[in-house]
Amino acid sequence: MNKRKFFLKMITSSLMRRRSRMLVALLAIAVGATILSGLVTIYYDVPRQMGAQFRNYGANMIFVSSSGDAEFTPEAAERAVAGIDASELVGYAPYRYETVLIHEQPLVAAGTDLAGAKATSPYWYIDGAWPAADGEMLVGNERAELLGLSVGDTVTVIYSTEQDEADEAGVTAEASLDMKVCGILETGGSEEEYIYLSMEDMERLTGNEGKLDLAELSISAPGEKLQSYAERISEAVPEISARLIKRVTESESTVLTKLQALVLLVTIVVLLLTMICVATTMTAVVTERRKEIGLRKALGASDREIIGEFMGEGLLLGGIGGLIGAGLGFAFAQMVSVNVFSSSISFQFWLIPVTILVSVAVTGLACLMPVRSATEVDPALVLKGE
Amino acid sequence: MFLRMIRGAFSRQIKKMLMIALTIALGASLATAMLNVMLDVGDKVNQELKTYGANIIVVPKSTSVLNNLYEVEDGSATAGSYLKESELGKIKTIFWAFNIVDYAPFIEAQVTLPDGSGAVMTGSWFNHHMELPTGETLDTGIQNLRTWWDITAGDWINEQRDASENEIMVGEALAKRLGITAGDTLALSSGHADKTLSVVGVFSAGGDEDEEIFAPLGIAQEFAGAEGFCSSIEVSALTTPDNELAEKAARLGPGSLSVSQYETWYCTAYVSSICFQIQEVITDSVASPVRQVAESEGSILEKTELLMVLITILSLIGSALGITNLVTASVMERSNEIGLLKAIGATDGRISALILSEIMITGIVGAVIGYFAGIGFAQIIGRTVFQSSIEMKLLVIPVVAVLVLAVTLAGSIPAIRMLLRLRPAEVLHGR
Repeated sequence: MNKRKFFLKMITSSLMRRRSRMLVALLAIAVGATILSGLVTIYYDVPRQMGAQFRNYGANMIFVSSSGDAEFTPEAAERAVAGIDASELVGYAPYRYETVLIHEQPLVAAGTDLAGAKATSPYWYIDGAWPAADGEMLVGNERAELLGLSVGDTVTVIYSTEQDEADEAGVTAEASLDMKVCGILETGGSEEEYIYLSMEDMERLTGNEGKLDLAELSISAPGEKLQSYAERISEAVPEISARLIKRVTESESTVLTKLQALVLLVTIVVLLLTMICVATTMTAVVTERRKEIGLRKALGASDREIIGEFMGEGLLLGGIGGLIGAGLGFAFAQMVSVNVFSSSISFQFWLIPVTILVSVAVTGLACLMPVRSATEVDPALVLKGE
Repeated sequence: MFLRMIRGAFSRQIKKMLMIALTIALGASLATAMLNVMLDVGDKVNQELKTYGANIIVVPKSTSVLNNLYEVEDGSATAGSYLKESELGKIKTIFWAFNIVDYAPFIEAQVTLPDGSGAVMTGSWFNHHMELPTGETLDTGIQNLRTWWDITAGDWINEQRDASENEIMVGEALAKRLGITAGDTLALSSGHADKTLSVVGVFSAGGDEDEEIFAPLGIAQEFAGAEGFCSSIEVSALTTPDNELAEKAARLGPGSLSVSQYETWYCTAYVSSICFQIQEVITDSVASPVRQVAESEGSILEKTELLMVLITILSLIGSALGITNLVTASVMERSNEIGLLKAIGATDGRISALILSEIMITGIVGAVIGYFAGIGFAQIIGRTVFQSSIEMKLLVIPVVAVLVLAVTLAGSIPAIRMLLRLRPAEVLHGR
């Protein structure tokens, strides 16, 4: 008990007396630990954060009606969506396509959940505004040019239950709805040929709830997980066949793998070099004290005791530096995440003990070598200054 | 005398100096590697993002009008409803030609299958070989623009082979329906042609294309009755993320820009300026960005670059602190020597000069070694991750030089000043 007290006193007073040197050593360890915990946190979080960025490419899974007799109803789609982890689901948009007439011209109208469409297709550019109330719709750019429509116009959308008969019999089988154009949709793709209205308006226009033609999903998950989701859904909900959009999923995994490899390699190189820097600084700090070691040996201390004491000092420094570094590292990772991805980082709590352990190990190793070489020489020579 | 003292210091304390040089070399190599990777990561990731396919699509000015309003029968190649095949080479002559990575023309034809049902035949380039007017050559086509296709049987059509003009590839869903696979033949007909073609490959595209037949451009033109024409062009170009200027140009048209703005815009690889330049060389065409690809590319590029910049800053701070620390530690260690020098009458200035020049010499040696080691690290990263070498930027050399110089000075000067303040008697006494 007494001995341990003495040991602790020796270590702490040694650290206090040589404050400036110890600060230098502590700083070195803290920098190393900061880089360790900061970069590893970023490395673990990059796939998640970058994956969210890749959702800008839009839907990566679609539901279509399976070939069976069962109808693809909104309820079936809801049931299928319920099987997906809510934290991974970025967006879900059901689509129902109907042929309608505007200015006597046939065109395709898509009824959808507009908020869902906004989430699944973040690349849609709307000139104007997203529909906010009933009776508002989006018109594809090409279609708008063709029909001479612009934002703010109101047009009558006509839906006829049986097109052929309606043509002969006139207006009897028709339903119509006055819709306001609140935005022109630009995508550079085939969406520009359609008009988009909310599912409620679509139901009012057609007078029935009808089945869905398609549902788009944007899920933030790696390729294999998407595949297993698709299989599970197709099995659990027989009305639906879930398919991956290969163009998006394949390309995403290619690019994401590269990005992760990049961050991994950078992390390894930076860590390796930083740890060597920490070690050399510690070595320099310890080498300076050869004289002290010589004096202790001359006073009769055993090699074991000397090594134990120096290691104790080193480990204490390593522990404190590691703790400071772990905190600073998280702060850095958080700053990066907020600046780059505008979202907070997910903390890896196991990294705190790991950071401390690595700092302790590196400092310990860095101290051990110079202390050993100092204890091996004759105290008389060391004290003489050779 | 001064030189002799320095030389003496190096020969006597070679181990210590080596350690300082090693640390500086490590710091410098870290800075070099990270800066080089950071400066090149944009280009590299941009290349990788090309796997998403075309980001620009070119269509004839009046397709939609003709098809929708007048219901022109397909096949009647009126001027304006098709793009001319002969003009395709011009895309590689625009101002940003170098940024055009791949492109391919497309033409669709309705064909009748042996069982009487209809299918869409799409004609395109697969691995088309082009001799450019500039003397360069380019191999381009959908083999590069449809990287996500899985070839489930057979192989891609190889246009370089002589027999390729009678070959087709069939989508997986269609192949299953017809019960055919690679090696079989398929008799197709349309109002313009009637031919038996051999199936060389079956592909799975995970979309509507699984129901289609892909054929070399010439065959599809025959079936569509539109020799020498195509209906759209997909272009994959390396672009700069949009800024305000680009958005203004895209929104209001290039005419809305002032002369100097116009020049900046025209000479920057914005997707809108590349589109504009393509429209200039292809008669009666409309080139528009595929927002799904163009937008996402921009945001991913920006994020990656910013991420790398921040990581680089962290590692620069890390290596700077590492060097400062070691230099401070090694100067402090020499309190005895400084005390002795002072005791025998050296001035503060001379002592500082002596120590600084020792450390500077070590620093320069370390920095040079570190620079080359850093290039090595950068190449390892480039080769492993992107399978291509990282371009060395000359800018990195002055940055690393200034960094090492500043950091070494910052590490040694405070320590020297502190030691000079000590009284020699105390230091030598060992306090």
